[in-house]
Amino acid sequence: MKLLKTLLVAGAVFATGLAHAEKITIAAAADLKFAMDEIVSNFRKGNPTDEIEVIYGSSGKFHTQVQQGAPYDLFFSADIGFPRELAKAGLAGSEVKPYAFGRIVLWSQSLDASKLTLDSLTDPKIARIAIANPKHAPYGKRAEEALRSSKLWEKIEPKLVYGENIAHTAQFVQTGNAQVGIIALALAVNPELASKGGYYLIPDNLHAPLEQGFVITKRAEGNALARRFAAYMGDKTTRAVMTRYGFVLPGEVAGK
Amino acid sequence: MDSINARFKLDWPGFTLDVDLALPGHGVTALFGHSGSGKTTLLRCLAGLERPSHGRLEFKGKIWQDDQTWLPTHQRPIGYVFQEASLFTHLNVLGNLNFGLKRSTTAQRVGLDQAIELLGIGHLLDRKPDTLSGGERQRVGIARALAVGPEILLMDEPLAALDLKRKQEILPYLERLHDELAIPVIYVSHSPDEVARLADHIVAMDGGRVVADGPLVETLARLDLPIRLGEDVGVVLDATVGAVDTEWHLARVDFAGGSLWTRDRGVPTGKHVRVRVLARDVSLAVHHPEPSSIQNVLDGTVESMAADDHPGLLLVRVQIGDSQLVARLTRRSAAQLGIAPGLPVSVQIKSVALME
Amino acid sequence: MFLTDGDLQAIWLTVRLAGIVTAILFVLGTPIAWWLARTRSKWKGPIGAVVALPLVLPPSVLGFYLLLAMGPHGPVGQFTAWLGVQPLPFTFWGLVLASVFYSFPFMVQPVQNAFEAIGERPLEVAATLRASPLDTFFTVALPLARPGFLTAGILTFAHTVGEFGVVLMIGGNIPGVTRVASVQIYDHVEALEYMDAHRLAGVMLVFSFLVLLALYAWRPNPKKGS
Repeated sequence: MKLLKTLLVAGAVFATGLAHAEKITIAAAADLKFAMDEIVSNFRKGNPTDEIEVIYGSSGKFHTQVQQGAPYDLFFSADIGFPRELAKAGLAGSEVKPYAFGRIVLWSQSLDASKLTLDSLTDPKIARIAIANPKHAPYGKRAEEALRSSKLWEKIEPKLVYGENIAHTAQFVQTGNAQVGIIALALAVNPELASKGGYYLIPDNLHAPLEQGFVITKRAEGNALARRFAAYMGDKTTRAVMTRYGFVLPGEVAGK
Repeated sequence: MDSINARFKLDWPGFTLDVDLALPGHGVTALFGHSGSGKTTLLRCLAGLERPSHGRLEFKGKIWQDDQTWLPTHQRPIGYVFQEASLFTHLNVLGNLNFGLKRSTTAQRVGLDQAIELLGIGHLLDRKPDTLSGGERQRVGIARALAVGPEILLMDEPLAALDLKRKQEILPYLERLHDELAIPVIYVSHSPDEVARLADHIVAMDGGRVVADGPLVETLARLDLPIRLGEDVGVVLDATVGAVDTEWHLARVDFAGGSLWTRDRGVPTGKHVRVRVLARDVSLAVHHPEPSSIQNVLDGTVESMAADDHPGLLLVRVQIGDSQLVARLTRRSAAQLGIAPGLPVSVQIKSVALME
Repeated sequence: MFLTDGDLQAIWLTVRLAGIVTAILFVLGTPIAWWLARTRSKWKGPIGAVVALPLVLPPSVLGFYLLLAMGPHGPVGQFTAWLGVQPLPFTFWGLVLASVFYSFPFMVQPVQNAFEAIGERPLEVAATLRASPLDTFFTVALPLARPGFLTAGILTFAHTVGEFGVVLMIGGNIPGVTRVASVQIYDHVEALEYMDAHRLAGVMLVFSFLVLLALYAWRPNPKKGS
């Protein structure tokens, strides 16, 4: 009887130990794809036993999924509005932290986009322009705003095709099906895309700031690894990576 | 040039058809044999439904198939009756009858109306095939084949799928066809009774080969017919109704060599009929027998003898005038009577089947 | 109004797409089903497998390949360029082409089964009644296979209506052109417009149920007929 008890206790201790053997799942907006890969790989150099899984997708979809209890521990949204709503609904395990401002660019594979401006979009040679769906993708919304404040929206609306998220939008351009796309700077500066075409940075006074924020979800409230990773976002190395990928960090001036 | 010359060689796994035949261009020819003998395959070759690797088919001087020629089924002037009527279920009876008629360019030897009348299906024209009885379906199937105005009618065991009652229902129609159709009919059957009733010519098949071939009366009287008929061994006599005895309800049929009394079935005097006499119903006596219940006693001469299927039995062919009968005896009684070719005998016939 | 204008536009577009795809597949799928039902060729297996591929392939695979193929560097894209017509992605006809691929087995397989069920005999009968093979196909095989065509038509239509992944991959989500009902629902959900999503999803649910109900109610009793 005593032996059984010892075993049970030992088992319980072991199981708790396992639960603490750190593993987190991060839901990240598609524009973070390349930057986040690098940040996680840097983080793991210092914490080789920790397991971090990152899922990329549209911020709106992650928002819905977290509401429905999806097993994400951290949620990096391209629009800080989504995590704020979660916090308001009591679904956050931390306060919402801004981590960057997103910028949008014109990107093309067939044309030299660095020589383009928004006005070039009216060129009849450009038959299709891809943007993320403004209805639910933050980058799409900023693209629409930029086009509207340049008085171009009505003129080019018939040419628009809508990607499901910013990565899908880039894919339309990458396959050549759309000549030009409005995508995240973070994607355009990535070597894989940068090798295929240049970009034109759309002035950020044409659209509302695309403030991006993350939050620890309610389920990970007591998760030490989640807290450590959240703190790591403020690390000097991390900020350098983010800057390199075209994100403007909070508290810094958009220097570009 | 009135004949149908057919030579087919066909190799399938487990089955070979190898025939070389000259079929008469008139009357009913029965392709007779047990199942698996190749009779249906031969019929399908004639119709072009099978394409044998080697073959030559000449129909009344026209080549339907040889090394250079292949006339597809739909261009052959045939009518074909399948074992199951195989009516088109999406059409009513009239639609089925019209299907071939609309497409046929051959002369209307038997018009649609005649076919409807001949098969007695006038009251069924609006019905759907699945509301018909098996016998009605098969009559429609036959009428449908006739309505195209074929130059030859091919029938694949049209009665095999029917029960006895339905068979009895259709046989009179087939006998009318035999009498009234001017075109040749090839009739596949494994039933000796049907063959005896309907055929003028018989082609017996076994294992994909022709084992006997000739006019019905002569061929059935052969003692060396290489297919086993068992209880159905017997002959067919061509006869005429000579007299009707209304008091006793009997009819006298006259054939070349004598007369037989049989039940009166209302066939008028002078009418040509066919009489089937089975070997098991014929017995022999060396002296003129005492009066007995057997009414039909004829004088004849033993012509030849042959072994029967069973070692205790013997088949004896007796010449009566210009006709022949076959009797089945036990070997012992044949020995006791001293039956031998040339012996005069009295032939007692217990039963006679009259067929119109 | 119960549904928004965008919803109605999406429904109309969906119905038009499914109708056109079904009509095209009747014409395109029937000869292939006929060939598959009757051939003894060694190609029967491979061709049958290719036809069935969309049954097992994830729509994203199909959508991805179609996007590449119809793009300016793909074979279909080069062909449309050679013809001097608009590239197919993000167009209604691009969706039609994609849906034709995607719904192919839903047309071919029921029709093929129906042709196989007819068997050899009625065709032989037709030949002995002077009908040429083509004549036989139209006047015997097609009418006898009618229940199969009904099933195939309903399944193809319904499956095209239910298509989502492929449309999303190559459609570009353009209102009135490629934004079909399933994508419209997705957009409602993504934009957190749950009420709108509920309404349109409810319409789709009722529609799908009615289609399947019709399919089971009309399917003729297999025991009947000879």
